[in-house]
Amino acid sequence: MASYDMSVNDIMKTFALSEPVLLVLLSLAEQARHGYSILKDVETMSGGRVQLSTGTLYGALQRLLADGWIERVEEDTAPRDRRTYRLTSRGRRNLQIEIDRMRHLTKLASLRVARKEG
Amino acid sequence: MLTVYCWLLRLYPTSYRHEFGEEMTSVFHDAQIELPPALVAKISFYRREFCGLLSGALSAHFDDLFGPAIPFPRFSMQRQFRFPRSTVFLMCVILAGVVLAIHKAQNVVQMKQSLPPATATAWGPMLWGSLFAIGLVLAAVGAAAAWGVLFALRRTGMHRLEGVQTGAEH
Repeated sequence: MASYDMSVNDIMKTFALSEPVLLVLLSLAEQARHGYSILKDVETMSGGRVQLSTGTLYGALQRLLADGWIERVEEDTAPRDRRTYRLTSRGRRNLQIEIDRMRHLTKLASLRVARKEG
Repeated sequence: MLTVYCWLLRLYPTSYRHEFGEEMTSVFHDAQIELPPALVAKISFYRREFCGLLSGALSAHFDDLFGPAIPFPRFSMQRQFRFPRSTVFLMCVILAGVVLAIHKAQNVVQMKQSLPPATATAWGPMLWGSLFAIGLVLAAVGAAAAWGVLFALRRTGMHRLEGVQTGAEH
């Protein structure tokens, strides 16, 4: 579970991220990546189900950058058309909140389905 | 296709294009190179890319106009967000105006049909003049209403979202 102090209710009150944004964050959680690498990783993670367009990807990246969830890795040698992004501590914390929310929801769903079957 | 893509990128705001344009083009180029040879895959890829570009450009312009509040449902829209009542009211006013204009136009057409031919000929220029005047008035009312909607959004709804983040912050 997360190391921050949040009750289950607080977690459930948070807002679900869209699947593409969640996958982008998960992709960057593992390592810093550039745009095309994120695109391929999202496709791989979702088993080919989620295929982001460049418009969608950069729309999400722009918003995440503006909100400080991700940042650009400053590399002197990196060309302007291949910049690398990584998760900030704030982004990682918010991603953890989302994962906890999903974990709680999955647990609740399992319990309810089991109860119904029983 | 790269040329078409670059051309479509012009739909984005200049600042956005300056920041991400080269990267987007490069990623599109890389993705294009790795496309499977099947025609269906190619069609699917280009459809996705061009639709993504169009919706992305729309979102970017929306961001410019209203701030980062609406373009990404489930990503940024907070539950505190409510469509301002004043906007709903203004939309109703616009709708009422349109319905009224249609009704008036129907009346004018009926009046023209009921007149004898000679009179109708005399009324012709006046009729067109009236229609033109009504059109102008409607356009002015529409423009004023649109301005009112924007004003109301800024004053009654959107300002509440200025400090909103993409997720919960605790």
